[in-house]
Amino acid sequence: MTIVPLDTFRAELERLRADAEAAMDAAADEVALEAARIDFLGAKSGRLKAIQKSLGGLAAADKPAGGRHFNEAKAAVTACFEAAQARVAGAGSECRLDAIDVTLPAEPVRLGHMHPITRTIRRVQEIMGRLGFESVDGPEVEDQWHNFEALAIPAEHPARDPLDNFYLAVARGADPLLLRSQTSTVQIRVMENREPPLRIVSLGRVYRPDTADATHYPMFHQVEGLLVEPGTTLAHLKSVLRMFASSFLGHAVNVRFRPSFFPFTEPSVEVDMEWGGRWVEMGGAGMIDPAVLEAVGYDPDSVTGFAFGLGVERIAARRYGVEDIRDFYRNDARFLRQF
Amino acid sequence: MIISTNWLADYVQLPGTVDEMVERLLMAGLNHESTKPVGQDVAVELEVTSNRPDCLGHIGVAREAAVLFDRPLHVPDPRPLEGAGPVSGSVAVEIHSPEICPWYTARVIRGARVGPSPSWLVDRLATVGVASVNNVVDVTNYVMLECGQPLHAFDLAKIRGGRIIVRRAEAGESFLAINHKAYTLTERMCVIADAERPVALAGVMGGADTEIGAATTDILLESAQFAPLAVRAAARGLSLASGSSYRFERGPDPAMVEWASRRAAALIIELAGGTLERGVMVAGKLACEPASIRLAAERVGEVLGVDIADARQRKILTALGFVEERGGALHDHRWRAPSWRRDCWREIDLVEEIARVEGYARVPEDVAISARPVELSPRERTVRRVVEVLVSAGLCEAMTRSVVTESVASIPSPWGDAAPLAISPPLVRGADRLRRSLVPSLLEARSGNVAVGVEDADVFEIARGYLARPAAADVSDGPVDEPLLAGVVVGGDFFRAKGLCEAVLAGLGVTGPGVRLTTRPIDLAPFAAGRAAEVILDRAGQASERVAVVGEVAAVTRDRLALPGPVAAAEIRIDKLVFAIAGERPVVRPSDYPPVQRDVNLVVDEGVPWGSVESAIRGAVEPFLEHCRLVQVWRDAERLGTGRKSFVVALTLRSTTGTLAGDEASRLVDLVVAECGRRVGAVLRA
Repeated sequence: MTIVPLDTFRAELERLRADAEAAMDAAADEVALEAARIDFLGAKSGRLKAIQKSLGGLAAADKPAGGRHFNEAKAAVTACFEAAQARVAGAGSECRLDAIDVTLPAEPVRLGHMHPITRTIRRVQEIMGRLGFESVDGPEVEDQWHNFEALAIPAEHPARDPLDNFYLAVARGADPLLLRSQTSTVQIRVMENREPPLRIVSLGRVYRPDTADATHYPMFHQVEGLLVEPGTTLAHLKSVLRMFASSFLGHAVNVRFRPSFFPFTEPSVEVDMEWGGRWVEMGGAGMIDPAVLEAVGYDPDSVTGFAFGLGVERIAARRYGVEDIRDFYRNDARFLRQF
Repeated sequence: MIISTNWLADYVQLPGTVDEMVERLLMAGLNHESTKPVGQDVAVELEVTSNRPDCLGHIGVAREAAVLFDRPLHVPDPRPLEGAGPVSGSVAVEIHSPEICPWYTARVIRGARVGPSPSWLVDRLATVGVASVNNVVDVTNYVMLECGQPLHAFDLAKIRGGRIIVRRAEAGESFLAINHKAYTLTERMCVIADAERPVALAGVMGGADTEIGAATTDILLESAQFAPLAVRAAARGLSLASGSSYRFERGPDPAMVEWASRRAAALIIELAGGTLERGVMVAGKLACEPASIRLAAERVGEVLGVDIADARQRKILTALGFVEERGGALHDHRWRAPSWRRDCWREIDLVEEIARVEGYARVPEDVAISARPVELSPRERTVRRVVEVLVSAGLCEAMTRSVVTESVASIPSPWGDAAPLAISPPLVRGADRLRRSLVPSLLEARSGNVAVGVEDADVFEIARGYLARPAAADVSDGPVDEPLLAGVVVGGDFFRAKGLCEAVLAGLGVTGPGVRLTTRPIDLAPFAAGRAAEVILDRAGQASERVAVVGEVAAVTRDRLALPGPVAAAEIRIDKLVFAIAGERPVVRPSDYPPVQRDVNLVVDEGVPWGSVESAIRGAVEPFLEHCRLVQVWRDAERLGTGRKSFVVALTLRSTTGTLAGDEASRLVDLVVAECGRRVGAVLRA
C-alpha cells in the first residue's frame, strides 16, 4: 500500500472544503442545496466520505494530524450547509418580505452653506476677538473726510482721482460722496466717537475700479485692525500679527515686515507670513500716522497705535485653493455647496 | 522702475550678486518685481512707492545701495564747456502760471549733429526698455533715468517768435504731440508755448512740430519744475502717461533741475558736437525748502519697541543725506532733510528712515499684549443668527454685487422710493446703480444657476441696500441710508418664503410682550399681484414699520430671467430687528400639567383673513393657548352658504397652575367662539 503524504491529504481536504462552500452558497433553493448536501456530506458516496477513506493511507505518524484536519474540514462544511439551509428557508418566509434594501437613497436633508468669504471673515474675527479686538461695521458710501482727509490723503493726492474711485453722481453739498475704497473709514468713525484705549477690527465690502480678472475684482472685502493704547510700539504690531498668523494657520508662523508706504501709517510696512514654505503677502500695516490721530482729536504725544489691513479674498483664495477670485461672486451653487 | 545693474555700478560698488542686492533693497523698501538678463547687462525691475521719487533714477537707487552696503556713492559733477556767446540772446523765457510751473530753465546748444547714439547709450537704454531715437533725445531720456529729473529738447529753429511761454492751456486748445496724435486741452493742463502755439504739454510730452530731427542743429534744452496736479490732469485726462509725467506727478528732486541740465548739455556736446551757449536762461524761483526736523533720542525706541544706538541712528541719517544741525538740546538732534527727500519733514519720518535701514527684523515679535474682554455687537450677533437660521434651512449664502444695472435698479424697493444712486465709473460694464434691494440680484444668481443646469439653487445674502437721504437728514451714521438686508430667493410658493421669513423672525426672538408682527397683503414688483405680503412690526414706544416683505415672483420676471417653476422671495430689514437679540429673555418653565385638545370649526365670511381669526383666538385665551393650528379651510356653498368659509382649528390648551378640567376647557373654547364672533363675525359650526 502506497503511503499518502500528509501535505497531499491536506491539499485535497482544502479543495473539497472550498468546493463545498462555493456550491452551498450558490444554492438558490432547497432542491439545489439538497443536491449539494448529498454531493459533499452524503453518508454513502459523499466526497467527504471518500476522503475519510484515504486517511488510512497516511503514515502512522501522520494519522493523528490527518484526523484532526479531517474533523475540522467536516465541521466547516457542515456549518456552511446549516447556514445555507437557514438562508434558503428564510427567503420564502413571511417575516423577510418587508426587509428594506438598505442601499436605496435616503430621504435627503438639504444642508445650507455659508459663503467662503463669510467663513474667512468669521475666522479672522474670532482670532482677533481672542486678542481683544472688537468687530465694528460702518457705511459703505462715504464722504471725503472719512475716506481721505482724516486718513491723511489730501485733495491733490492721486488716490482721490475720479478714475480711481467710484464717485456718486450726487454730492452732499460740495462734498463728493463715494463708495469707500478701504474700511479704515470705519476706524475713523469709531475713533471720532470713542476715546482710547481702543482695539477694533473693521470689516466689509470695499470698492476700487479694477478690471475683474483672476486676482482682482472691483468689489472686495477688507479686514482692518486698529489698536490705540499708550505705549504701543511696532513690536506690538509684529507680535499681534504673528499670533494672528499662527492662529489662522494652526501652527507657529514667522512673519516679516518690509518697508512700504501708506498715507495713514508711519512707519508703514508690508507684512509677509511664511505659508507653505514661502513668504506670502498678508497685507499692509504700520503705526498710525500722527496726522490721523490728530484728525480724530487724539493727542499723538500721549497715545500711539497701529493699524493693519488684510485682503479677505486673497487669504480665502489661498486657504481654499480657489484659483480665480471671480468664483467668489459667480454664486454657482456647485461652488458654494463645497463650503 | 527698471534698473540696469551695469549702469548702477557707475555710482556705487555693488555686492557680489544681483540677488544679494535685490534682497537687501527689498527689505529696505524697494520691492523686487523681476530680474532679467539683457545682453551683457542685468535688468532689475523695482517697485517704487509713491513717496520715493528719488528712487526713480539710477543715482537714487545707487544711494540706497550705498547706504545699505556701507559703500561710497559717486555722483558725477558735470561741467560742460561753454562757448563765448551768452544764452540770453537766443530766446526769452516767461512763466505766466507760476502755480503750475515755479521754475523753468533752458540752455541752448548750436551746431549739433543729430545722429545715432553710441552703442553704450543704446545698450543702457535697451536694458531699461527704452528704444533709442537719436543722440539728443537719447541723452534727455538717459539723464532722466539717471537722476529722476525729466528733460525736453526742442528744435530751436522751429520755436516761433523767439519766446518760450509757460502757461495754462486754453480750454479747447489743440496740440499735436510727438506721437503725431492731436489732443484737445483743458485749463487744468500746463503747456510750453512759443509766440504762436503750444510746443509741449508741460511735463508730459513734446510737440511734433518742434521735435529733434535729422535736420536739427540748434537745440533748446528744457529742465523745469511742474506741479504734480497739472501734469496728472494732462497725463490722465488724455491717457498720455510718460516716464516724464510719472516722475513729475511724484515730484523730482528740485536740486537736480540744474544738475540735469548741465549733465545733458555735457553729454549732447560729447555725442553730437556743437557749442553750448554761455549760461542758462531762468524764469521763476526754485521751490526747495529743506525741512528742519527735531529727533528726540528716545523716540526711535518708543516707536519700534527696540532701541537703536544713538551713533547708529546718526550714521544712518547721515548716509541717507540728512545733515545734522547745530545747537539742539543734549538728547535732541535737529536734522535737515536732503532736497531729494521731501517726504521727510517730521520726527516720525526720521524714525521710519532709521528703522527701514536698520531692518525690521530687529523689531521683537514676542511682546505680550494685555487681555481685554470683547463682545460681538448686537448687530453682529443678529447677522450671525440670521445666517445660522437660513443655513440650517438648507440655503446657500450668495454674494452678489452691490451695484446693478439701471434696469435692475428700477425694480421697486420695499425700503424707499428715492431714485437709485448712480456711480461713475460703472462697477462692471453697465452696472452703475447702487441697489436698493437684494432680491433682484439673488434672482439673477438663481437664473445664472439655471443656465448651468442647477435648477434648485436656493440662496440668501446679507448685505446693505443704499437709499438717498432727504437733504436735511442726520448723516452721523453715513451720508446715505444703508439698511442692512437679508434677501432670500427659493424655489416654491409664497408659503415657503413666508416660512423662511418667520423662521428668521422667530430665530431672532422677535416675539413676546410689547412686540406684535402683522402680515398684510401688498402689491409690489417683482412679486405677483395678490401673492405678496409685508410684515409690520409694532412695539412699545416705536412707530410701526415694515420689517419684511415676502411673495411669489411674478411670471413676467421669471420669464425674463428664464426661471422655471414657482419662485418665491423674501427680504428682511435685519437692522430693524437688532433690538430683539440685544435683550436676554427669561426662560419660561414648561408646565407640568397635561394639555387638552379641542377642535373648533369657525365659519366666517370669505373676506375674513386667517390672521384676524388667529389673533382673536389668541386675544381670547392667550395664557392657556399652547398651540393654535389651522387644520383645514373648506368651502361648501350648500352647507355653509355662498361667500362663506370654514376654518377648522385645533387648539392645544394647557394651564401652568393645574390640570385643566373638561368644563374649564369648554369654557375656554366658549371664550374663543365669543371673541371670534365679536371680532370677525365667526359662528361655530356644530
